[in-house]
Amino acid sequence: MTDSSHLAPAGLRSAIARYLSPVRALRPPLVRSMALLPIGLVLLVAAPVVFSFRDLETLGWPLAWGASALQIAIGMLLIAAALREAVPGRAWSPVALTGLFASPLALVIAVTLASWSASPVALPRLWWTIGGICFAGSFISAIPAVALAAVLALRAYPTRPAVAGGLAGLGAGLMADAGWRLFCHYSEPAHVLTAHLAGVLVPAVLGALATARVRRNAERRTLSSSL
Amino acid sequence: MSARAEDDVRLRALMVRYQAGEMAAFDEIYARVTPPVRRFLASRVRDASRVDDLAQETFLQMHRARHTYDPADPLMPLAIAIARHVWLMRLRADSRRPLAVEPIEELPIGVRADAESYADREQVRDALLALPPARRRALLWHHHWGLSFREIAARMGIRETAAKLRSSRGVAQLRSLLGNDGPDVPPRRKTSDD
Repeated sequence: MTDSSHLAPAGLRSAIARYLSPVRALRPPLVRSMALLPIGLVLLVAAPVVFSFRDLETLGWPLAWGASALQIAIGMLLIAAALREAVPGRAWSPVALTGLFASPLALVIAVTLASWSASPVALPRLWWTIGGICFAGSFISAIPAVALAAVLALRAYPTRPAVAGGLAGLGAGLMADAGWRLFCHYSEPAHVLTAHLAGVLVPAVLGALATARVRRNAERRTLSSSL
Repeated sequence: MSARAEDDVRLRALMVRYQAGEMAAFDEIYARVTPPVRRFLASRVRDASRVDDLAQETFLQMHRARHTYDPADPLMPLAIAIARHVWLMRLRADSRRPLAVEPIEELPIGVRADAESYADREQVRDALLALPPARRRALLWHHHWGLSFREIAARMGIRETAAKLRSSRGVAQLRSLLGNDGPDVPPRRKTSDD
C-alpha cells in the first residue's frame, strides 16, 4: 500500500484520474514497421513494371531484384529503428545513430559500384533532365511511406522527433529507390550517386522536418495549456 | 534477486496495471519513481519549487506516454528520458519567451507622473489585469519596456503585425476599461524601430 504522505499532489492526481482510461501498449517497433510492408512491395515493383525494366539480363537476378529487396529490408529496419527511437528511454546512442545513418549510404554506394561494373551504361546526354526525373520519381514515390512512418513515430512519444523522423524518412527513401533503380537504365555512378542518392536523402530531411514540426506544435500546445 | 532487481520487477508489474487504468498503481509508481526523477531534475535545476513543477510535468507526460511502455523493458529509463525531455522543453520555452511566465503582480507598472496617486495606480493595475494575457504582455513589453514589435514577435512566436495588433487592441481595451477620464498608458520608450 502507498503511504498517503507519498501520494501525488491533489491537482496531479485529479488530472491523472480524469483521463485514466486503459491503454493498449504499443507493439514492438519491428512489428509496427510491418505496416509499411505493402507500400514497400508496391514501391519495389511499381516503377519497373509500370514503366520498363533496365537491363536485367546483363545485371543478373542478385544485382537487380536481390539488391532492391535488400534495400527494402534495410529501409524497413531503419523505420523500425525510427519507431524504437520514438519510445522514451529507448533512444539510440550517437554511435548507433551514426551507423544507422551511414548504412544506407554505404549500401547505395556498394550497389551502384557493383551495378556499374556488371553493366556500365553511361548517360549519353541530358543528364540534368534524366537526373531530375530520377530524383523526382524516387522522392515523390517515397512521400506516402514517409508520411506513414512519421505518423507511426508520432503515435509514440518521440523526445528527439527530428532524429526519429529523419530515420523514418531515410528508410522510406531507400525503399522508394529500391524500385526506381530497377527502372532507371543508367548505372553511371555520377548519375546514381547524385540523383538517386538525393532521392534517398531528401525524404530523410523531409521526415525530420515534418516530424519535428508536428511534435513541436503539439508540445507548444501542451506547454501553453500547463502554464 | 537483488533489491534493485526486485524493485524493477515490481515497477514493471505496476506499470502494466497503470496501463490497465488502475489509480492505485499510479500512486505506487509515483511514490517509487519520484525520488530518482527529482534527483535527476535537481542536478539540473537549482530552484526546489521548479523541480517540483518539472517533476509533476514529468508525471503528466508519462501519463500521456504510458502506452509506449513495453513491459519487457525497465521503467526507470522511460521516466528519466521523459524528465529530461520536460526539462529541455521548459528550457526552450523559457528562452523563447523569458518574460511570459512572470506573474503580472511583479511587473512594474508605470503610470504618468500626474497620475501617481495610489488610487490611479490601482486602477491601472486592475485594468491591466483585466486584459487578455497576450494583449497585456504585448502592451507592456512595447509601451512600458520599450521592446520593438520585432522583438515582441520573436519572443511570442508570432508575426510582427500580430504583435502590433495585440498591443494596439490592448491599448484600446485599456482605454475603454479606464474610461475617458482615466490615466493614459505611459508613452512608449524609444526603440531601435524608431
